[in-house]
Amino acid sequence: MRGRRVWQDLMAVTELEKGDVTPAKLGSREFAIYDTVDGIRVSLARCTHGAANLCDGYFDGKFIECPLHQGLFDARSGEAKAAPARKSLFMIENRIIDGMIQVYI
Amino acid sequence: MGNQLRRESQHNQPVLTPITQAMQDGALSRRELKQLMTRSNLPGLIHLFGFALTLICTGSLIWLASGTWWMVPAMFVHGIVWVHHFALQHECVHYTAFRTRWLNEVIGNYCGFAILLPNRFFRYEHCDHHTYTQLHGKDPELIELPISLRKYLWTISSIPYWKQKFIEIFAHARGRFSPIEEKFVPKEDRRSLVIEARVMLALFGAIVTFCIGTNWWGPLFYWWLPLFLGEPVMRIIRMTEHVGRPHIRDMKENTRTNLVSWPMRFLAWNMNYHAEHHYASSVPFHALPKLHRKLEGFVHIERRGYLGAHIDILSQICTRSKKPL
Repeated sequence: MRGRRVWQDLMAVTELEKGDVTPAKLGSREFAIYDTVDGIRVSLARCTHGAANLCDGYFDGKFIECPLHQGLFDARSGEAKAAPARKSLFMIENRIIDGMIQVYI
Repeated sequence: MGNQLRRESQHNQPVLTPITQAMQDGALSRRELKQLMTRSNLPGLIHLFGFALTLICTGSLIWLASGTWWMVPAMFVHGIVWVHHFALQHECVHYTAFRTRWLNEVIGNYCGFAILLPNRFFRYEHCDHHTYTQLHGKDPELIELPISLRKYLWTISSIPYWKQKFIEIFAHARGRFSPIEEKFVPKEDRRSLVIEARVMLALFGAIVTFCIGTNWWGPLFYWWLPLFLGEPVMRIIRMTEHVGRPHIRDMKENTRTNLVSWPMRFLAWNMNYHAEHHYASSVPFHALPKLHRKLEGFVHIERRGYLGAHIDILSQICTRSKKPL
């Protein structure tokens, strides 16, 4: 069964920081939940450049900026948009069921 | 996908950033932090206008003194202002001078050109300075505590600084990077840094050629001589940020905030609040005084300002030189 993915509850929509990025954890894994202009998106929380927690970064509804080196990612697609960030964010498939954000991991 | 997720989770070992540390310490809440991070173009544009106006005023002093020996002090005063292009460039490197990202790029590149510090290269170098602040062999901007008064004055003279900068730019233009630079400059982006160094050298070459061809030496008297005359002041200021502070990771200890007068804060784009800046480098310059009030007690503050920091540095040099070998 190892490696088999299932939908798991991550956080209730009501707990989200509106228009911002909210940290969440499942076991030891850290996630960043973005309340973007295009809807909810979820990624692994760590910057692909320097491993800082993106949940502490500046988010404008579309782009998330790393709090350590100000690398930039598109939170809707995960694409790295500005140096020093080069590698895209690892985005997690998500859905909302009965007010609960679920991730497919 | 599951295996990939596991690999990604393991590959990216978490880094405890100062900003996360500050929230864990209870120094400030996430909401306060987010508020402080809010970007705006207006404060930066107003500040830029004031900075440009100051440069015009000090430049006018040179013009008024032209043909007399008063030109030397006038160029020095203009140079003190000119070298503070660094403070603006530093703010642009963090994308915190303006809300609009491309404005930070454009103004950052202009500042880099004004003080011979290629912007893209500086961004990479500065990243590692923030990751490894004050750590030997890892912080590329680390300035060692001078071992003697002679070395202290040598550092302030800016001769070692300029020597390093000229070596750097010519090496980069030839596609060469030092082992320490190879650690922070990604392979994929080295080409762009080579081009950046070549473009900067070509532009300087073109200006020098133009000056020789037309026998018009404006850039020499309003730009290059003031830059070299003023740089020791920037060395004095840059030394106050970390020199003499412990070589440890703890942001509460390894960085110094200096309380200075309003004109110096203005020129430095509030970078005298240096410990606060290291705590949360995403906080724009105009919000640093507010962050300073929030972090009171959490960071090292030198209340006597730049002078006090140098008294501290000099006393450490004297204490060290009196120690028996």
